[in-house]
Order: sequence, then C-alpha cells, then structure tokens
Amino acid sequence: MATDAKTDTAAPARPATVTLTIDGQEVTVPKGTTVLEAALGMGIQIPTFCWHPKLKSVGACRMCYVEIEKMPKLAVSCATEAVDGMVVHTDSDLVKRGRKAIIEFILANHPLDCPTCDKGGECDLQNLTYRHGIDDSRFDFMKMRFTEGAERTTFDDVRIGPEIVLNRNRCILCYKCVRANKEAFGEYDLGAFERGNITEINAAPGREVENPFSGNLVQICPVGALTNSDWRYKIRVWLTKQARSICPFTGSGANTLLWKEDHQQKIFRCTARRNDDIDDGWIADVTRYGYQYVMAEDRLQTPLVKKDGKQVKASWDEALALVAKRLREVDDNKGNVCIGGLIAPHLDNKSLYAFNKFMRVTIGANNVDHRLDYPMLPTDGNSAFSILASRPFTIADIDTSDVIVSFASDMLKEHPNEYLRMRKASFFRQAKIYTIDPYAVKNSDIASLDVVYTPGADEAVINALCLAAAEDQMVDAARIKGLKEKLSHKSAADAAKAAGVDLDEIKVIARALANGKKITFMAGELLARSSFREAAAAALANLNRLFDIDSRGQMARLARFSNSRGAEKLGLSPFPAPAVKKELEAAFGSWPASDALTADKMLVQMNKEAINAAIVIGANPIMLYPDREFAREALEKLDFLVVCDSFETATTSLADVVLPLASFAEYTGDYINMEGRTQTAEAAIKPRFQSKPAYEIVSLIAQALEKPLFKSDVDCGTEMAKILAADHVLPWPSGYLEVAGEPVATSEEYPIPLFVGDDPHHSGHLTEKANSLLNFRGEAYAEMSAELAASLDVRNGDSVRVESPVGKVIVPVRISDWIDTPVVFIPRNFSSTPVTSLLMRKERVNRVKITKVAD
Amino acid sequence: MSFYSPVITNAAEVARSESLHLFRYVEDPDQYKVETFEKHGGYEAWKKVVTSMKPDQVIAEVKNSGLRGRGGAGFPTGMKWGFVPKDSPKARYLICNADESEPGTCKDRVIMERDPHAVIEGMAIGAFAIGCHRMFIYIRGEFGHCIERMEGAVKEAYTRGHLGKNVYGSGYDLDMVVHSGGGAYICGEETALLNSLEGEKGLSRIRPPFPAIAGLYASPTIVNNVETLAAVPHIINRGADWYKTMGTEKSAGSKIFSLSGHVKRPGNYEVPLGFSLKTLIYDEKYGAGIRDGKKLKAVIPGGASTPFLTPDMVDVGLDYESLQSVGSMLGSGAIIVLDEDTCIVWTIMKLIHFFRHESCGKCTPCREGTGWLEQLVTRIEHGEGRPGDIDKIDDLCGNILGRTICPLGDAAVMPIQSAIKLFRDEWQYHIDHKKCPCPNNHEFK
Repeated sequence: MATDAKTDTAAPARPATVTLTIDGQEVTVPKGTTVLEAALGMGIQIPTFCWHPKLKSVGACRMCYVEIEKMPKLAVSCATEAVDGMVVHTDSDLVKRGRKAIIEFILANHPLDCPTCDKGGECDLQNLTYRHGIDDSRFDFMKMRFTEGAERTTFDDVRIGPEIVLNRNRCILCYKCVRANKEAFGEYDLGAFERGNITEINAAPGREVENPFSGNLVQICPVGALTNSDWRYKIRVWLTKQARSICPFTGSGANTLLWKEDHQQKIFRCTARRNDDIDDGWIADVTRYGYQYVMAEDRLQTPLVKKDGKQVKASWDEALALVAKRLREVDDNKGNVCIGGLIAPHLDNKSLYAFNKFMRVTIGANNVDHRLDYPMLPTDGNSAFSILASRPFTIADIDTSDVIVSFASDMLKEHPNEYLRMRKASFFRQAKIYTIDPYAVKNSDIASLDVVYTPGADEAVINALCLAAAEDQMVDAARIKGLKEKLSHKSAADAAKAAGVDLDEIKVIARALANGKKITFMAGELLARSSFREAAAAALANLNRLFDIDSRGQMARLARFSNSRGAEKLGLSPFPAPAVKKELEAAFGSWPASDALTADKMLVQMNKEAINAAIVIGANPIMLYPDREFAREALEKLDFLVVCDSFETATTSLADVVLPLASFAEYTGDYINMEGRTQTAEAAIKPRFQSKPAYEIVSLIAQALEKPLFKSDVDCGTEMAKILAADHVLPWPSGYLEVAGEPVATSEEYPIPLFVGDDPHHSGHLTEKANSLLNFRGEAYAEMSAELAASLDVRNGDSVRVESPVGKVIVPVRISDWIDTPVVFIPRNFSSTPVTSLLMRKERVNRVKITKVAD
Repeated sequence: MSFYSPVITNAAEVARSESLHLFRYVEDPDQYKVETFEKHGGYEAWKKVVTSMKPDQVIAEVKNSGLRGRGGAGFPTGMKWGFVPKDSPKARYLICNADESEPGTCKDRVIMERDPHAVIEGMAIGAFAIGCHRMFIYIRGEFGHCIERMEGAVKEAYTRGHLGKNVYGSGYDLDMVVHSGGGAYICGEETALLNSLEGEKGLSRIRPPFPAIAGLYASPTIVNNVETLAAVPHIINRGADWYKTMGTEKSAGSKIFSLSGHVKRPGNYEVPLGFSLKTLIYDEKYGAGIRDGKKLKAVIPGGASTPFLTPDMVDVGLDYESLQSVGSMLGSGAIIVLDEDTCIVWTIMKLIHFFRHESCGKCTPCREGTGWLEQLVTRIEHGEGRPGDIDKIDDLCGNILGRTICPLGDAAVMPIQSAIKLFRDEWQYHIDHKKCPCPNNHEFK
C-alpha cells in the first residue's frame, strides 16, 4: 500500500523520446519505438513479411533489413529499437542486396503459381518480388512440394477448417498466423510443425482451425498459403472495388471493407479495415462472413400481402395502400395508442429516427422500442439498469487498464472485439483480468481469478464485493458510510454464501478494484437478459460509488448491437434520457400523452388485446424474445401486423403485410457504436430485388397515411444532428441504492439452469443465412461440462432432450472446454431449434431437465 | 551402478599437474558419488561462498580470474553475471547449458557422467552470485546416462544439504531442476534453449532483450556452459590469481579439447589455453599423430562450425586470440583432424546436411539457405556439379553470414567459405572430372 501511494503522488514522468536520422531526415520518436515504426511514421517504406503492428516482432523473415552506421551487420528494423543518434539507411546498396537475397531464398521453393493463386494481385511476395527481386532464378533443383499423404490433392491444397484451405507450398513461414492465433486470439488450433526447411504450418493434430477469429489468419497471410472458401476462385482482386462498411452484428462497430463487383452487383468478401480505436484490425468471423446474408438466395423479393390466409406477392403500391388503410382503421376504431412499433437495433440512424418520428408523430403513440430480446424491461426511465446502460465507454481504454473485470458476460459470444482487447491487455501488458459469471466463460483462461456464482445470484456476488471492501476497510471510511444499511446481506460472508462463491476470492477482486490504477468494469448480456437485472444493476451502482471506479476508469453495460447506442441516443425507447427527450419534443413539435410502453410491455398489451396493430422492422421477436410462446401469442392476437425483414422468418409468417427490407450493405447509413462513435457504412451494391431501406419504407407508409415525415432529407439530417448532440448519459444515483438479495429458487424436477445466447459464430437471426458461418456451426447444441455430460451418460454429439415446464427441444451435446458447473448453454441463432420456447419471461433463472435420447 | 563412456582422457597427467583441475578425478570410478566428491574437497567452495561471501565478491573473483565461456562464444563469465540487474523485482534464473551437440564435442558429457557434483557446485556458486533460487540444467535429450547421473547427484546433494532450503544454515534457499531436451541442436543456442525450457518450440529469439535482462519467463537469466561452471569452484578455492597462472594473458585457465578424427589417440584432453595445436595432434601423450601413417590434410579446430586450418597453420596456440589470428575460432574446443584421404567436399556435405537438418526454420536465410546449399554441395560431391556452382555456393554463404537471428546460420556457412577458400582446386576437380577424387568416402563409390 505504502509504495502504491508513493507512485500515485509522484509527478508523471514525461514520456522519453529519442532522436535519430533515417535516410538523412532527423526524426524524434517515443523511446521504445522500433526503427521500422519510426521509418513508417515518416512515410519511408520498408518491406516486411513477418512483421505485424499488433504482434510481437520476431525478426524471422529478414526482409526489413536496414543499415545502421557503426553496426557491423545489417539490422532487422522491426526488432531494433531506435536509439539517440542512430543513423539509419533504408535504401543503401547493402540493404538492397540483403533484401534481394531474402526474396531469392523465399522464392527458391515457392511454386510461383500466381495465375491460379487467389492472392495474386494483392500478394506481398508478388509485390516485393517485382520491387526487389530478379526475373530469373539461380535455384535449379526440383521445388519442394508438400502433398497430403501419398495422394496429391488438387493443387496440393488441404482443408484445415470449415472455411480455411492451406497450401503449404506457397507458405513462406512468416509465422504470422500462428503468432496471431496465440498472441491476439489465445487459440491453439494452428501450429508450426517439423523443423528447418520442412517446417509446415498445419492444424493442430486431430483438430480443425475453427476458432471464431480464424478468418483473420487468411487476411494476414502475406501469400496465398491460407485462403478461405468464401473468396477462393470466385474473382480476381483487381476486378473488385471496395466499400467502407461497419460490422452490423456487434456493438463495437468494427470497421470493414466490402469487396464488390459493380456489373454483377455482387459482394465477394468482407475484410477488416484496421481502426486502432475499435478493432485493431481483427474482426470476428461473424463480421467477416456474416455479410453473406446480403447475397443469400432466399432474400425476400417483393412485398407480400395476406389474401385468404395466404401471403401472396404484391406490388409496393398495393402493399403500402393496404398498410395505410389498416392502420387508419385501427386508429379510427381503437385509437392510436393501440398501434405498437418495434425496430431492430442493427438499423442505421436515419431508419431509427424516421421510425421514432413515425410512431410518435405520424401515429402519435409512445409505443416504440428497440430492445426486443429482453424480458421484463424497467418501466421507468431512471432505473439503475438504464443508468448503467447509458454510461460512457471507450474500447481502447481496455488496453491500458491494469484491472479488467467482466461481469455476467460471455464476452466471446457477445462482444468479440472487447474480448480480444482483454486478451491483448493480458498478453502484452500483464493486466489483471477477473471474470465474474454464472458459468465459466472462454476468457477465464487469462483470468487471474474466474469467479463462477450461482446462476441468478447476480446481486449477491456484487454485494459480496462491496461488503468485503467495507469490512476490510479497503476504501476510505467516508465512502463506506451508508452502504451496509442498504444491503439485505448482513456481511460479505453472507453475500458470498448466497452467491455460492469463495469469500477469499471475492476479497482478492475487491482489493484489485480498490488499488487498481485504471479499471475497466464491463457488464454484459447475462445481466441485461435477466428479468431481475434491476437488483444487480443497483448493486453495480453501489460498487461504482464505493470504489469510485469512474474516477479511475470506466464501468458500463456494453451495448450489444451495432446501433443499440444510436437507438438510445435517438430516443428510440419509451423513456429517452431527459436531454434527448427535450430535443425530440423540439423536433417533433409535440409529444404523445399516452403511456410509454417498452417492447416487453407491448407484447403484454398485445396479449391483452390492448394493442391491435404493430409494425415490426428488421426484428424477429418470435425467435429472439426470451419466451417464444408469449411473443407468438401476442403477435397472433393482433388485428394487423406489418413486418419488414430481408427474409421470411417466424415473425413474418404471422404478418398481414411483409415488406422486403434492404440490408446494411445496400444503402449508406450511419451507426453509433457502444462508445457513441458515429461511423458510416457505405452502400456496396444497390438494394437487391425490390427491397428498400427501413427509413424509406417508413417514409412511404407515412406518405400513404398522407402525413409526410420530412420535407426533405436535409430536414431529417438537421433534426437528427440536434438530437444526437444531446447528452444521453444518465448520472449515477446520488447515494447508495437498496439492494434486496433474494434467494435463488431451485427445482428438483428441473435442476439445470439454462442460458440462451448467441453462438460465437452467429449473431441474431440473420447469420444463419451466411453459408460460411453455417460451415462453422450449422445447428444448435447443448453446451455443457464434461461432468454433466458424464452424469447424463452422453458424449459429444449424442442427442439430448432438453425440457422446461413450457417446452422442449432435442439437440446434440457439445462438451465445453471451459464450463465446469452443471449449467447448459444453447444458442438461439438457428430457426430449426426454437430454443426460446423453453424460456419463461418472468423466471429469474430458467431451468431445464436434460435426458439422453435413446439411439 | 557405474558407467564410463569409453573416452580417453589425460586424467593421470592432470592429477600430477599443479594446476590442471577439471579432469583431476574423472578416472576415479566413484567420483560421481557425493561422498567421494566431498572427500576430494567437493562443495567446500560452495560452503565458503554461501556462508561467508557476498554475491559481488563472487562476481569480482570470477571476473578477475579471466574465465571465459567454454560453450563457444568465449564471453567473460564474470562480466556476464554482472549484467543481471540488481534491482529487478523478478526471480532470476541460472541455467546450465548441457545441450552439448556440436559435432565433435564431447567434453561436457564426460564431466556430467563422471563428475556431476562439480557441475552442481559450480551452478550453485553462479546462482548465488546472481541471486537465483531455482536453477536449471538443460541436458541434451540423447544423453540418457548424463541425465541419470545428474538426477542422482541432485538427489544426493539435497540429502547432504548442499541444495534445498537454508543451505548450510546460511538462510539461502536453492533448488535445482534437471531438464531433458528433446533432441535439437538449436536448443544449445541459449534463446532457443529458453523457449524449449518454457515448453515452446525450440526457436531462437531475437536479441535484445538479452537473457540477462529478460530470459526464462521474461526474467533475468544467465546461461552458462557445463565446463565453465565446473571451473568456478576451483577459482573460488584457489583464487583468481592461481587461475591466471594458466593460459595466456587474454585466455586464462585450462580447457578441455575433444580431439577426434584421423588421429591415433582421439580423446578429451585438458590443457592450458594457448597449448600448441601441433603438440596436441602429434604428441604421444595426446593425439599421437595421424593414424595409418597418413599425412594431415586439414583441422577443424573448434567444432563443426569453425573454419578449417591447413597443415601449415597448425603450429598455433589453442586460445581465443591465436586461432582468430589464423582465421578460425576456438569454439567449443572440438578438434576434428582430417587426413589426406578425406574429401573436403564430402566433409562439407556431411556438415551442411547436419546444419540443414538442425536449422530451426525460423529465419529465412538459414532455413532456405542451408537447404539450397545442401543440394548444391551434394550435387558436386556426386559428380553432378555445374560450372558456376562454387561461386554460387560462396555467394549464398555470403547471403547467410551475419544475416540470421542466431549463430546457427553463421556456423553453417563459415566452414564452407573456408573450405572453398583453402581447397578451391578440389571443388573444381569434382566439377571438371564429374567425380570425387578421394578414396576414403566409402558411401558414394
């Protein structure tokens, strides 16, 4: 403690710099910069194969040679630290000779099959050969050739994973794939085997390369050794153009490029577009391959209207006229408050804002929400959960935090980019990682401690942290005052017992939170999806107050979808933040007087037939709302349902009118990521078939109702700009909040807690239209610990029947490498397995029984 | 159990000598036992160090003695120990590099098999000097007997209180781990050794950071050769000044030379540094001359990775500086003698095959270059060489030399370059006559 205090008060040292000369130009860079980075920063090109800005330098390829005065040999600039007074030459004759020799060595056994290689045209080796090499080879032996077993496969390619194909002849052994897998992703399904010039990259024995970040390996391969099915043999790279896009599946908005061909109006692939503030150039496979849904065969082509109980094709005019007529009927007969509006949070700002205005002005009802997959949402605007969800967050700050806690979050499945950031902080800066979850998650492997609490006891475990700090006086006495009285748990030991966790471990984490220099505390979907989220959110507000985390870092519930934060900032919920509401009122000129209903409450009202018509845009509540039957019944009771989506879904099947929705890649739109950063996704192709962007559909409906939304696009932009400028962040409560910990009920008949969420390779209901992602995971499964599987007498792949009081599904078993308690996880992304039918919206913990299905 | 590898040593001569020390007891069949070792004055230096000396004093003494690394590079040992940062909060590690796999070298093996406690004692003193509490010995995987002997000796040392908690009541804790390598020459290179010890693939690491700053588990680490460490207790016992009485001004002390090849008495001989190579080859006490009455053709003086010497160069002192002055290196002290019937190209083919096979595959010049060189040299030896091949080989060697992460690349090409320089006619003969001129190469006739 004493030494900590000393460092805290010491004046921050000015970052040291060094000055060196590169190619005659003097440059000053921070100490620790490599010569390569210094040169690149000056715009001096130094060729590399094995260097990657986000990985440790290994100096293996030797392409980045430079000549440094007073050094006897050529130096590899990627691994040479810049020092004061260094004089560097990057283009001397010696350097050129050195690089040429490397190209010659690499080409000796390289097959030079560029005409049939997909990397041709964007190949580092090809480019650098033209720049440094010779057009003839001194190597006059047979080239080495790797073949699989005795049999030579086509072009010597071997499939090493669902997507990835390996050609070892082309491999130049830069080891970037193996290093990225280890250093950035923490995966070990790919390795380098053998030694010397017969070294080969390959999948680990008995395994496939199928980690959720494996697509990055293909992108960073400097040659055509790793290719993916998505792109292979489809088009030459020089025939394509790129559109700058944004990941539509996660909350961080990773930057991407969509590679398109204009004549065919086709997108061929999606790659990372490095943005160090967000993604570091790594994107999850769901981002990389998910775009394929845009090009899917079974996209909705035209509007459909229900005639005689059957949906038939119709023209836009016909469909819009019908929508207007029916909405007017409901409005006239039942009142405008009987119309509900649900919109998916992965749509762009303009669509969200247009819909908000449509519902609140054109319809004149307060029934609008984007939070479709959460049960029992808070019914006022100042709940602890709303506060937590509104708090600011900066992704890049995870990197520099020394204490990182993820709470109630399966980070890999929910927030892949932030998951990688945690690993980065751990690997490169030895940050302390703590995971606190109801079941062990993937990044528990880098955690100093992974605490697994009793499912449902979310608030108890946070109370335990607070009480442990208070009891052991880890924080100032003044801060502790007033805390204990508010908590139902009498002591840390009490709370820890209620949460089923070890108090000593809780104390370690509490101490880390008390002493950490910079803290990142992230709460996730396991909290957000809980119907008792409010108690835990209140406990987290207390935690923030007690440890004063805001002054030393950040604490937030991470936004889950690509424009969740945009929806909040645009007031697309029943209870917009006060500042946002004020701007909205100004823009709208009015505010509906009716009760504000959350998505959850709207379904309740539909079930009570108090809402008779609904507009659903881009969302699939039947598949994703955590009580399938409840949602289905609600929508079935409607007099009129209009659904906009890109595909026929369980929800569109109930609709009176279905309108084809354009995807993110078919129009230019703005998206706001979890940090509040606005980013633009450019249109890659024109909307396919007759589909239209949501904002256009909403405007057309408004026009059909003879109440146009905007005079012009400019108006829409001006209105939005004002609203987005408003501060949507809610302040923390001014004192400690009551946290009533309730004991978690158990059940003998249904003993096993069930968690439903996204598979690491999927997100929401659209990704099952992406073939590459289906290659990774094409069906639902019951993920469980080896012990639970053993107790059920089942092995990997065996079918089990999972039953809850309200439903049952039959799925194959998947033994988890990290879950080690008796819980089960089932992904919700597959329409063939309606797992949400097992859930009940009011249950704190949904429980199931699992039985083996006889062969 | 007693085991001897059938290697000739000059133990008797060493025992008679005033100052030679490494081999003094190696012919004693019981020397590997701790009682015998103690009877011969073993562990006295360790006891003296740990109970009465300060780490700085130990480092100063070793520095003064002029002891230099016996693994090949010849770096001053005391200076190396001094590089360990005094203020690092991390653990420090001492590692004994017993991955002796340089072709021709077999000195460490004899020490470990016959006098294992000498290694432990030297390691303990080194560990104390740098503040290490857990030391490792990384033994070449093929050395089954050495591993058995070292494991047995470590167990004995714990039992007798030479290792463990609170050694001799000094308050100093010292543990020792015997680790068996997986059979890779590259793991004798210290950074690859560190990777291997950590459980990774044995690939060399780029320097800096040097192991003394960030080595094993990113902690300050010293890696010393077996022979180096075995000499340390004697320096402590008898003083730096005594050690300097042996050898030359810049190359102090004695060294074991592994003499092999076409001599009458191949073996391990401990002699003072600066000893005449000619004497070592021809003297009856040592090599006793070339066998079968043949003439000398060439000598590799320091292990497979050092440039050749021709007969007119062998009148040279065996020390770091003298060998450097004739264009070669002392290396690990493995002297390979080749007679007049040996084909130089054949010899190089054998060597480059070894280096190609042992290249770790991390950096391009060594990985691709050694493979290409092997193909070229093999072609020439088989009488299929093409005009221009010799220059091509020479040029490729130049593209590898000094361009690799670790010294393996240099080691692979230095003998080739010297063989071309010294015996170019013989290379040319292979190409011109499409055959090998030497009758000694049975394999390809």
